[in-house]
Amino acid sequence: MTDRRVVVTGVGTVNAATVGGRDALASALALGRSAIGPVRAFDVADLTSRLAAEVDEATVASLVDRDAARRLSRICRLALGACLLAVADAGVEGGHGLGTVVGTEHGDFTSSRDFAQGFLRHGPAGLSPMIFPNTVMNTMAATAAIAMGAKAPSITVNQATLAGDLAVARGARLILDGRADAVVAGGVDELFPEVYRHLAETGALSPMQSQSPEGCRPFAADHNGPVLGEGATFLVLEELAIAQARGARIIAEIVEAAWGNVPTAPHTARPGRVDHDSPAARLVRSCVPRRVARCYGSGNGDPALDDWERALLDRDLGGRADLLPPRSLAPLFGQHGGLGALRVAAAALDAECSVPSVLVHGIARGGCRIAILVASLS
Amino acid sequence: MSRPGAHGGCRDVVVSGLGVVSPYGAGVTRFWSGLAAGTCTIKPITIIETAGFRSRIAAEIPASVMSTLGSSWRRSRADRIALAAAREALADSGLQGRQQTEAALLIGAVGGGMLEGEHWYWAQTLGGGRPSRRSALRSILPFSHADTLGWRLGLTGPKETVVMACASGAASIALGADLVRAGVTPTALVGGVDALTHTCFMGFNALKLLDPSPCRPFDRDRHGMSLGEAAAFLVLEDAEHCRARGGRVHARLAGYGMSTDAHHVTAPHPEGMIDAMSLALKDAGLPATAVGYVNAHGTGTQQNDRVEAQALRQVFGEGGVLVSSTKSLIGHTMAGAGSVEAAATILALQHELLPPTANLETVDPEVAFDCLPGTARPARISAALSNSFGFGGQNVCLIFARDGS
Repeated sequence: MTDRRVVVTGVGTVNAATVGGRDALASALALGRSAIGPVRAFDVADLTSRLAAEVDEATVASLVDRDAARRLSRICRLALGACLLAVADAGVEGGHGLGTVVGTEHGDFTSSRDFAQGFLRHGPAGLSPMIFPNTVMNTMAATAAIAMGAKAPSITVNQATLAGDLAVARGARLILDGRADAVVAGGVDELFPEVYRHLAETGALSPMQSQSPEGCRPFAADHNGPVLGEGATFLVLEELAIAQARGARIIAEIVEAAWGNVPTAPHTARPGRVDHDSPAARLVRSCVPRRVARCYGSGNGDPALDDWERALLDRDLGGRADLLPPRSLAPLFGQHGGLGALRVAAAALDAECSVPSVLVHGIARGGCRIAILVASLS
Repeated sequence: MSRPGAHGGCRDVVVSGLGVVSPYGAGVTRFWSGLAAGTCTIKPITIIETAGFRSRIAAEIPASVMSTLGSSWRRSRADRIALAAAREALADSGLQGRQQTEAALLIGAVGGGMLEGEHWYWAQTLGGGRPSRRSALRSILPFSHADTLGWRLGLTGPKETVVMACASGAASIALGADLVRAGVTPTALVGGVDALTHTCFMGFNALKLLDPSPCRPFDRDRHGMSLGEAAAFLVLEDAEHCRARGGRVHARLAGYGMSTDAHHVTAPHPEGMIDAMSLALKDAGLPATAVGYVNAHGTGTQQNDRVEAQALRQVFGEGGVLVSSTKSLIGHTMAGAGSVEAAATILALQHELLPPTANLETVDPEVAFDCLPGTARPARISAALSNSFGFGGQNVCLIFARDGS
């Protein structure tokens, strides 16, 4: 299957800044306005962290019809809305060749909480058989696959920080390996009060007990933690020859994707630790001769992660100061499972316009590292 | 859109290492001895409160076994099970140094460290005040297994956590095999894990899918499934790489098929199962007649067993293959099931002995197959299929073959 090539032919996004296809996202990126603001959905008055990039409820309500809204959890509606926007943008249809890959960090915690509370309040009689299936993280992929009629593999990947990037990489792999002709791949997460509170109280969110004001400032001298966001972003990846045969508008090519691990204790970031020979490191090093013109990074304001990413890229990009620090989209959309897909989508839109070759890079606490090379179609 | 073509022209993938922690105990030897003897491990649950529930049994990993796996405040029960099985698989493979550390790591998981997270959340909600062990939440998400194993085993290859409900373990094998086939990495440590959790136990009780007695897959009078907990890991390896280093081959992963029903979140559909089995045969380049044994998904629910039997009849013809469900022996181990049953299938090929379906007294007339009731049966077969299906209409079918066949 080495003769197969993977291209991006559609984008769908539902995030705190915008909702729509490739044009809506391109406008939001060009505008560059941060969607981060005070948390409105739940009470954070007793916390030192009070910011987030929220998708407003009117937007969520507009994504699916009233019947679907009754049946689906909020995170399923976010995922489904973005998937349907993506397939509409690309003009692809369901069937045995269409696959789905959903990346998420937290999944449907709301349903897990609601399910447990039913028991805690009313005992076994309080358990809802309707909610239980949503406690499994693949519920978003299942919902989307049913709605799209996607019968090729439907995969959910769970990963901190890089869920969306990893989903795109796995989606591209499915096409390269002949397991699907097209894949709707991306990521989703929703703000969940208990997770927000837990992360804020344990100092994992800005301002992380620092004296600097709360805010998302990746790679800045006063970076002091990430700010959470929510939403869903999906790309339609398609095999080049098939996309060309149907006359699709091709945005860009996913030239290569590689991911690896820098062995590190769970939840930790080790700026001094390097991976001399992981697949991701090899891909980043191989990008230098291709004259990469732009680099997006996963840096989200978490000082240890920002420093780690910068150190790794400093080493592997061979002193390309023009690419460092990498561009971060976290200040616009907040950290969530869809952010990695937004990075790849932004790179694809860059490549479609004027930037010939873009590197999308990420590193997560716990050591997962990824690199995706996106380029204009040659 | 068209159906994608068969996979071909890439590297052969072999299984060069196996590791299992199951209700029989730690290690492949205990696992196989238990399966071969047809010993059912489904008993009253001890690790979670079951009062008031219709079904109160499962196949647990005994406390005496858990106590040998080592403990750490950082690790959940599932992390500990996974780490022990993964270590056994790597040791069994004989990989050393860089050959081992460059392996990919793909883990199928669902519950993560939810058991420990539930204790924290319940104490917080009911107890009026927070318990001190907030660290229980560190490992609550499924990817904690991959982070723990990647760190403790020093692995630098691609790392992924795959959540595909009860097909997760099988999917980790399939997707890891694609990385080896494509030459991304010569070796991959792949497998699935789940420990019992309140959420899972309560959820399947709420769906009325648990049998109050040990499950009876394919029996006319079956009343549902039994839960279990386990981890199994396989080392997948480029066949040439394995031969060049003198590694031992347990079996060849001849091919796989993966499909999605796109029908219903919880109700299975035969078309998706047929697709996955047909794709697996096509991927392996084998006719249905080449497959001598199917380790069925065989949960013991009315719906699964009827639909799976219907799909098997479509692919293999009536009575066209021997079938058994090892879930009757060790329960449904959720995200672990796909890899645990893959290990059982490989061992059946190696030992020329097919594990039985326990508790099967009267075969459902809709099940047109010999389901190997009660006793393991000697049989020399060249290829076998392992079926895994899950919520969300997820279907993964793996075909293993004797090396050289």
